[in-house]
Amino acid sequence: MKNIKKFFKYDNAGIFFVLPALAYMLAFVGYPIIYNFILSFQDVTARNLKNGIRDFIGFKNYIDLFTQDNVLTASLWNTLVFTVSCLVFQFIVGFALAVFFNKKFAFSKPVRGLLMMPWMIPITITGLIFKFMFGTDVGIINYFLKTIGLIGENVEWLTSTTTAMPAVIFANIWIGIPFNMILIATGLTIIPTELYESASIDGANKLQSFWRITVPLLKPTIESVLILGFIYTFKVYDLIYVMTSGGPVNSTQVLSTYSYKLSFEMFKYSKGAAVANILFVILFLISLAYLKYVYTEEEA
Amino acid sequence: MGAEVKLSKSKNAIYCIVSILVLCILLFPLYWILVTSLKTEKEIFQIPPTFWPGVLNLNSYMVQFNSGDFNMFHSFGNSMIISLSAMSIAVVLAVPASYGIARYAFAGKRGIILIFLVTQMLPVSVLLTPLFIMFKNMHLYNTFFSTILADATIGIPFSVLILKNYFASIPKELEEAAYIDGCNKFTAFLRVLIPIAKPGVIVCGIFSFLYAWGDLAYGMTFILDQEKRPITAGIFNFMGQYGTKWSYLTAFAVVTIIPVALIFILMQKYIISGMTSGAVKG
Repeated sequence: MKNIKKFFKYDNAGIFFVLPALAYMLAFVGYPIIYNFILSFQDVTARNLKNGIRDFIGFKNYIDLFTQDNVLTASLWNTLVFTVSCLVFQFIVGFALAVFFNKKFAFSKPVRGLLMMPWMIPITITGLIFKFMFGTDVGIINYFLKTIGLIGENVEWLTSTTTAMPAVIFANIWIGIPFNMILIATGLTIIPTELYESASIDGANKLQSFWRITVPLLKPTIESVLILGFIYTFKVYDLIYVMTSGGPVNSTQVLSTYSYKLSFEMFKYSKGAAVANILFVILFLISLAYLKYVYTEEEA
Repeated sequence: MGAEVKLSKSKNAIYCIVSILVLCILLFPLYWILVTSLKTEKEIFQIPPTFWPGVLNLNSYMVQFNSGDFNMFHSFGNSMIISLSAMSIAVVLAVPASYGIARYAFAGKRGIILIFLVTQMLPVSVLLTPLFIMFKNMHLYNTFFSTILADATIGIPFSVLILKNYFASIPKELEEAAYIDGCNKFTAFLRVLIPIAKPGVIVCGIFSFLYAWGDLAYGMTFILDQEKRPITAGIFNFMGQYGTKWSYLTAFAVVTIIPVALIFILMQKYIISGMTSGAVKG
């Protein structure tokens, strides 16, 4: 055994296996990230994209973004509101479903499997589906709400500044529920049944064993689910772009859609790069904190 | 909560009924677009809405065969080419990389793992503008290659991280035996380890395909011509032009979902294992 271990240790042959993938990622991810940083300190627009004459203008793009209008601050705020709202609801529903399907009844496995479907649908299509369902006159959601008497008039969900955000949040929760459910369900299976049995012998009721056993033992899973969920939700792009394109009047503008708009609708590439960079730095810091946390947990 | 506790018959029945209700509510949107795609344009706008088409109308699908504006089946083919190519690149690069990381200790290994972990969490927007300019300079703009190359960057880190765990779980004695039988490091990897890690390789293939299939941003940004665009970008474009043509739009949606649904039905166990192992470990 020792020899085998030694054989595999300190063997640089490994680098040859890794090199092709690493080179690819450095070329198409690493280099673009650096390029994006450089772009954000230049002034590249449709005019000077081709001739290559690009002056460095320091932090001007960033300063302009924060001071010229309030779209960036609105986007930052919207991104945060969107992310936190989605996380709260998809986590609660996902958790409830995970606990429910953890019971061994005849349909538990097949039905839980089918519930994964929403997570796999291409997000463009999810956006299309919910744009249709939230339609003012054609939408089934207005019909349901009218039938049960919650609204009297049709609501202009996606074309009014107050309701567009709740509508896109609703659509994203639909995508996020399966993700939360399956991860929490996996966490639940690790908890030994004996713990619940001995707790009930000791006179604990179901609620007590939930708070005293399930929640503390699930803590690592819950933390992973929430942090990963935050990262995935914070970078939302397709869904909002398809449903509202950030409108109306920037009411659903998030960092990624704003960056896209600046670069590819207004052709202010450097400004778009600067917004993308702000998004990148936020996510990078959160990712690093998360990874550091996971690694220290694993080593402990 | 007890995982192994058998439920009584009546409780079992109640749980089954509740689970079916949950299923109906959560999957209703999918049912709804399928039904809508089979209705006539007039019936779609009818109030109260019909929950099953009064007249079965396949026209929204049939008209695609000779429509000039946006040919759905053509775009479907584009998406297939793009997704299968991106999947191939991701798998071919990720399989050896994950093996190297799982089995060998070399300088900078931790840093390399970190690179893959962080890139998995990257927002698409960060790469869009720089890749757009890069592809223009490389004359890859408005070709399949640009989108294929960009889509593969999503599949690679995911695949490396999943497969790393697969390879790490294979007993090292197997390789030792292969060396005794005259294999070198590379032939041992090809002939012994890849076959054993096959389920993991399938998971990676599926996810790399699905990531590319679902991509909108790259396909829309790097390909200009409608006839070269993947189906997602084509649909988005169509939405911009004919936003209320819901009979066609829902038909496009159904066609785009078909490969996903097939993969889902045929390979469900791989998908769940991919989601849980990939996501929790980040």
